Amino acid sequence: MNLLRRNIGSLPVGIWMAFGALLLIGLAWLMQAYSLLNWESAVNLGFQNGSFTGDASEKLLAKKEEGEAIADLIWPLPLTLVAFFGILRKRFIGFVACMMVFAICVYFPLFYIFQLWETHIQTALGATLLWGIPSILGIMGLWSNRQLFQKHIV
Amino acid sequence: MKPTTITWILAIFGAITFLPLMLAQFIMLLKPNSRQAKNLIIGKGKEWRDHTHFRSALAFAWADLLIILPLLVISIIGVFSGQVWAYVLWLALGVLSIYFSILFWVLEKAYTYPSYGWVAYYTYFWGFFLYWGIGATVYSILQII
Repeated sequence: MNLLRRNIGSLPVGIWMAFGALLLIGLAWLMQAYSLLNWESAVNLGFQNGSFTGDASEKLLAKKEEGEAIADLIWPLPLTLVAFFGILRKRFIGFVACMMVFAICVYFPLFYIFQLWETHIQTALGATLLWGIPSILGIMGLWSNRQLFQKHIV
Repeated sequence: MKPTTITWILAIFGAITFLPLMLAQFIMLLKPNSRQAKNLIIGKGKEWRDHTHFRSALAFAWADLLIILPLLVISIIGVFSGQVWAYVLWLALGVLSIYFSILFWVLEKAYTYPSYGWVAYYTYFWGFFLYWGIGATVYSILQII
């Protein structure tokens, strides 16, 4: 844990890890936002699996993924923005928001592993590598440096 | 950090809200295609809409039992032991609970609301998860500060 507190530039390693995870997570919300704007193009780019022009099963998958995209933009996206700017300014609210975002991003890759293992294994693995593992590392990095945020609440 | 009356209320409310769900998820894992599992997860007399719907329910069952149940049990033990990290776990559980509430509002309300009616929907079937999530999140933030 000492390594996570060691500074690289102006910030400790653990905070850089949290920032890295947040940037990757921000990419996910951008993909979700793009999907809602142009669903079929997002399917072609590999951002989503279900197409609204496919068979009944694919349409149902698309409906489910669309619901997830809407929920992601309502709750985790604003939290991610608060986390990013909050951590940048070393505010406690940033620490809290960041932990909240990481909690969501640890749960969902695990959910995808069980849901998509048979059909879309690349999505499950992609979510685990891009968001699940970085979020766990981000939690460790942030928790190791929690003393940085104690003095500033908002 | 001593437990307060609010800690007790949130712990009891959390147990009442989550433990029946965990039991239903456990039945879902043991007998995924049984009538009992379908009645508990998607409503009395309802059928899986298709394989995607079934796989989603099964995945939620696994993820809930692997993440939500340990978070709930460890955090409740932790808050009564006066540990700060336990409130971080409550925060995680609270934020997930709010997220699920939004997700299921968007995805499932059209199916579950007519089947259960507004009283059940806005209490134990859906509402409690949102109320507990908001309560646990706000209280945990105040405790961690």
